[in-house]
Amino acid sequence: MEPALDFSAVNKTFTTSSGPVKALDDVSFSIAEGEFLAVLGPSGCGKSTLLSLAAGLERPTSGGVKTAGRVIDRAVTDIGIVFQTDALLDWRSVLQNVMIQPQMRGLRTSEYEGKARELLELVGLAGFEEKYPYELSGGMRQRVSICRALVHNPSLLLMDEPFGALDALTREQMVMELHHIWLRTHKSVMFVTHDIQEAVLLAQRVLVMTPRPGRIAEIIEVDLPLQRTPDIMESEKFTQKVAHIRHLFEAHGVLKKY
Amino acid sequence: MTGSSGQAEKKGRSKVRLPFDSLILCLAVVLAWQAVTYFGDVPAYLLPPPSAIAERIYSDFGLLLSHSLVTAKEVLIGFLLSIVISVPLAAILAQFPLVERMLYPLLVASQTVPKVAIAPLLVVWFGFGLFPKILIAFLICFFPILVDSLVGFRSMPKEIAWLARSTGASRWKVFLHFQVPAALPNIFAGVKVASTLAIVGAIVGEFVAADSGLGYQLIVANGSLDVTLSFSILIVLSVMGMLLFALVDLAERLALPWHVSQRS
Repeated sequence: MEPALDFSAVNKTFTTSSGPVKALDDVSFSIAEGEFLAVLGPSGCGKSTLLSLAAGLERPTSGGVKTAGRVIDRAVTDIGIVFQTDALLDWRSVLQNVMIQPQMRGLRTSEYEGKARELLELVGLAGFEEKYPYELSGGMRQRVSICRALVHNPSLLLMDEPFGALDALTREQMVMELHHIWLRTHKSVMFVTHDIQEAVLLAQRVLVMTPRPGRIAEIIEVDLPLQRTPDIMESEKFTQKVAHIRHLFEAHGVLKKY
Repeated sequence: MTGSSGQAEKKGRSKVRLPFDSLILCLAVVLAWQAVTYFGDVPAYLLPPPSAIAERIYSDFGLLLSHSLVTAKEVLIGFLLSIVISVPLAAILAQFPLVERMLYPLLVASQTVPKVAIAPLLVVWFGFGLFPKILIAFLICFFPILVDSLVGFRSMPKEIAWLARSTGASRWKVFLHFQVPAALPNIFAGVKVASTLAIVGAIVGEFVAADSGLGYQLIVANGSLDVTLSFSILIVLSVMGMLLFALVDLAERLALPWHVSQRS
């Protein structure tokens, strides 16, 4: 089976007013069908560039990006995107925010409304369908945005630090919710984060990146059970992985050694 | 669109709060005014008491009304015309950066010419009728609506633009479902500013040359030192301005119940 997403020897250089800036340097990896891959790195490591390449919003300077075996040469539509900001449409109700996907795609909205309601229920938003975004808390808003990324049943889910703007408690809750959604749907996910624990807890593999230019330091297999619980964070294996990644960052000067 | 029907109706509209605080202040000012003119022996040809103004509005109601209708017509046509032209123009400029780069500086430059100063010229060109007044009202409203709308049409955050592109929808659909609703708060902000300016435009036009309208009547009243009538006209003008503003405000409340300024 073709990987859901495949980067091979990708370089990306941006031209800015102060000269060219290399954002990605020789990046190769792939996300298997149904795999949850976390991209972990400090700011400035080209995580967002990775994402815009995967979404087909940018082209690589060299190298190839493929999705399901096809070279990406235009904006990819078979994806769902979740951003750090929930990017909800303030003028639409919760349900209508989710329904924007089938509407814009010219799909039969009557078929998708049930799916949208189901997803909202799955994330605990039953009864909030007719509320407007400003009536919701940050965590609820991000849940709506996750539903919006899933309703059209895309093959690939791109998540750009989706919980970065949430408070710590909500964040922990959302991480587990996302995990359960993934267990149920088995979507291929590219999850960008700068939180080591979050990455190890959620992902099957963690792609660790170093900044300026963005390079892959290591791709780490997380050989924890498929189904994760918060308790797993106290297991020896988990702490080992986290420690390993921290040492990796220390070795690359991302984290200071004490 | 399933599910969208009745959604706006179901949303409870927040109770319209009357501005009691400002009404009380207003009343206090009127009372103070009355007291000053009464006890201070201020001659009525300098500052008429509010009671005299009220009396005058009552007795000359027919006259004021007929002139008001003339002015209101100029204001409304000029105002609506500016909305109908500025908003679509802003939408077009927002779609085509090249067109904007070419046109925008010219538009800004055109605004440095004071409209009040070109009013006499417009009369020379277009005569004494309705048209030059409408034109001045239009010109004065045009720019604020254009600028605010342009900001609105470009206000879509990067993430939402990404989302729109990832749906693969046509540019027209993206414009309709993303850009237009996102722009509405700014469009209304511009329209609100313009609603107060429209009356200024029409009055200026009437000052220069007219045989009817409140601006004309104001000139006549001043010419005969009829200060009470002048004040009566000013009151009518401000009521007209408030009504137009309230109309726009109401339209905004109905169209954008979700908008930030409506939340508190």
